[in-house]
Parts: sequence; structure tokens; C-alpha cells
Amino acid sequence: MTSENNTHFGFKTVAEADKAKKVGEVFHSVASKYDLMNDVMSAGMHRGWKRFAVEISGVRSGDKVLDIAGGSGDLSKLFAKKVGTDGQVILTDINASMLAVGRDRMLDAGLQVPALQCDAEKLPFPDQYFDCVIVAFGLRNMTHKDLALAEMQRVLKVGGRLLVLEFSKVWQPLSKIYDVYSFKLLPLMGKLLAHDAESYQYLAESIRMHPDQETLKQMMVDAGLSKVDYYNLSAGVVALHKGYKT
Amino acid sequence: MLKALSTSFLQHLLAQNSWANALLQPYAGKAVQFDIASIKANIIILEDGGLAIAGETNIADATVCISASLLLRLIAQDEAAKMQIVISGDTHLATEFAKVLSNMRWDYEDDLSKLVGDVSALKISQFGREAVSGIKRNSIQLAEMLSEYWQEEKPLIAKKRHVEKFNAEVDTLRADVARFEKRLTKLTQQQLSSHHQTTDSSH
Repeated sequence: MTSENNTHFGFKTVAEADKAKKVGEVFHSVASKYDLMNDVMSAGMHRGWKRFAVEISGVRSGDKVLDIAGGSGDLSKLFAKKVGTDGQVILTDINASMLAVGRDRMLDAGLQVPALQCDAEKLPFPDQYFDCVIVAFGLRNMTHKDLALAEMQRVLKVGGRLLVLEFSKVWQPLSKIYDVYSFKLLPLMGKLLAHDAESYQYLAESIRMHPDQETLKQMMVDAGLSKVDYYNLSAGVVALHKGYKT
Repeated sequence: MLKALSTSFLQHLLAQNSWANALLQPYAGKAVQFDIASIKANIIILEDGGLAIAGETNIADATVCISASLLLRLIAQDEAAKMQIVISGDTHLATEFAKVLSNMRWDYEDDLSKLVGDVSALKISQFGREAVSGIKRNSIQLAEMLSEYWQEEKPLIAKKRHVEKFNAEVDTLRADVARFEKRLTKLTQQQLSSHHQTTDSSH
């Protein structure tokens, strides 16, 4: 096996073919406690970050929205209200356990949102179909981020926009505290609340391996998006990137 | 987080002024930077006609610059001050955007009523309006008083008629200098041509 066929899984190096399987195992493991852990880990801030992403999307009634790696369906739920009955939101995730959580939540909320298991690197949608594509806290788990971004760009209509909400590079003066939180507290919380320290160790490591704000911006430009801009949220713990298809 | 909060407020403001969406929508994706009394805010128009604070790397399509002194004059509703707002970049976008923003109203009474009930919200709003209008009135009176003191008692600032007289004198002087310059040029040319004629005849 050559180094070209390797990729990172947190701080570990694994074969590209194994990454999706390993990420899948992490999310199968955390799916049932995903919402609780998100709330505990971010002190509820993830809800604000997601609401902000929906506000910035500029999605209006009648629009078609694709929620990639939508997991528990938080964003699909918010978008479904925005697009109304004339619009369409499709919830997708590569992980069946996470998708099942999202699908059930949509049904419980009385929302008709199709849930589709698919790989973001091979989206089963025609060219220029969506007004908005969003991926929240999912891109860093993808093996070929460049391919996934190119696919997202492909399914966007001209004038459509891609939003990437993802952990990013924190403001430098806070980096030491953030490291302690990520590598000491996070696995401990995972152990106590979800009985799964390893998955949360992976979460912290995968955040550090993810491209910073400027690198991701350039990756989006390379994928064919224009006017790419980003917002640092909570001192850069999370960044929201937005780019247009022109 | 300030950007997120400001964006939420802008979205809330637009929800109360839904007429503005249709006017802003044609400019979707464009951003205007407001530089008011050295405080900068870059506002972007969203695809649904909504407004948001622009991101970290956004380059504004237009800039509206209002200095601190101009801001005071605008608050005092000095119509002439509006002409001194500096607009650069896409002036059509900036003008339309500023027009929409200046016509938007924050229905704070409605927001308050959700917290304290209709009657209390009405009373608090009335009190607030009276207080603001009182402060504004008193500020204008104070400014006029200070202006009179510095003009009459302890002349630090010039009176309007003196400035106008000075400006008129400068204009007259400029015209005189221009006339003098032209006359000088004419005389120099005459002298040069007569000198050439004398030289030619001597040859």
C-alpha cells in the first residue's frame, strides 16, 4: 500500500478504504446519545451555530435544500420550516444509525423530509438541482473532502450556495484551554455520558486534523465556488463558510 | 458571536418590515460597508432579501461614510447634512440600501409586549419616546447655546455670515487673480512678439 492510499483517522493513519468504516463505527456508537453529547460538549451552543447557518443561507419559501451528513436532522428541521410546503429538504447521511435518528425525529415533528443514505462523494442527484447545500459537522469525516466539495458544487443550481459548518482553528490565545478541554475533558465526558471515550477522543483529533478557515476557503474555491466567505463563531471554535456557484 | 447576534437582530428587524425584502432581493449577494463615526459594519444582502453581517473576508461593493460631526447633524435632522454623506463604490446600491434602512422601523413596543404585556409595553414605550425626545431637544438647545457663547462671548467659532463673507471675498480674490494672470500672459505675449519684430527688422 502506498502513502497515497492512506488517510488520517484522527491522529492515526489508516488505509483510505478503512476510514469510512471506522467513522461509521464511531457514529454507530454515539448515535443514540448524539444530541445529549452535543448539548453537553458545546453547552448548547451548537443550536445557535445551526440557527445562524440557516439565517445566513438566505433560503426562502419554495427552495430545494440538501442537508448532507445531516445526522439527527437539526438543520433539516429548521430548513423544512423555511422552505414551506412548496419547497423540498432532503436529509442525507452515510451512516444508517444517525440517519435513522434524524428520520424518526422528522416523523415525530410531523415533517415530510425524505431521508436518504448516501455517500457525499457520490451524490445521487442530478446536476444543478438544489438552491442550497449544507454540510454541518460532517466534512471533516469525509475521506476525500475535495471530491465531496466538487459533488456539492455539481448539484447546486447557478446562484445556489454551499454552506459548510465545521469545527475550525480557534483564536490563538484560547488554544491552550481549548486543547485541555478537547483532549482531557471531552473523552472524560464521552466516557461518563456515552460510555465511549474513544469516539470522543477521535472527535477531538479529527477537529485538529481538519483544515483551518483559510485552507477550507481555498478548497471551496478550488471546487469551483466563488465569493467564498466565512464567519468565525465562538472565537473560531466553529467556522461557517459560504460560497456561490456562478 | 457579535456577528451572530447582530444578524439575528437584523433578521428580526426585517421580519417587522417585510416590505423591505422585495426591495433588497435584487441586490442579493452584495455587501455595503457602513463607516459611521469610525464604527464599521459590513452588511450583506441575502438571497431571500434578508440582511446579515458579512463574514471575515467579505469585500464590500459599496461604502457609506458618515463622520461623528455629520452624524450629530443628521440626528438633529439637518437636511443639508444628507448631502455630505460620502458614498463610494456602487453608489446606486448604497443609495438604495441606505434608503431602505432609513425607512425601517424597530417595533420595540411589540417586542416588549411579549415580555411585559401590552399595557406595560405601551407605557414603557411612551416613557422611552418622551425621554429620547427630551434628550434630543435638550442636546440641540445645549449645542445652540454653546454655539452662541463661542460666537458672541468667547469667539472660538466663526459666525455663518462671517464665513459667507469670507468665502465671497476669497471668490472675488480668485477671480481677480485669474484676470490678472490672463492680463499678465497677454502682456508677456505682446512683449515677446514686439521683441521678435525688432530683431527681424535689425537683420
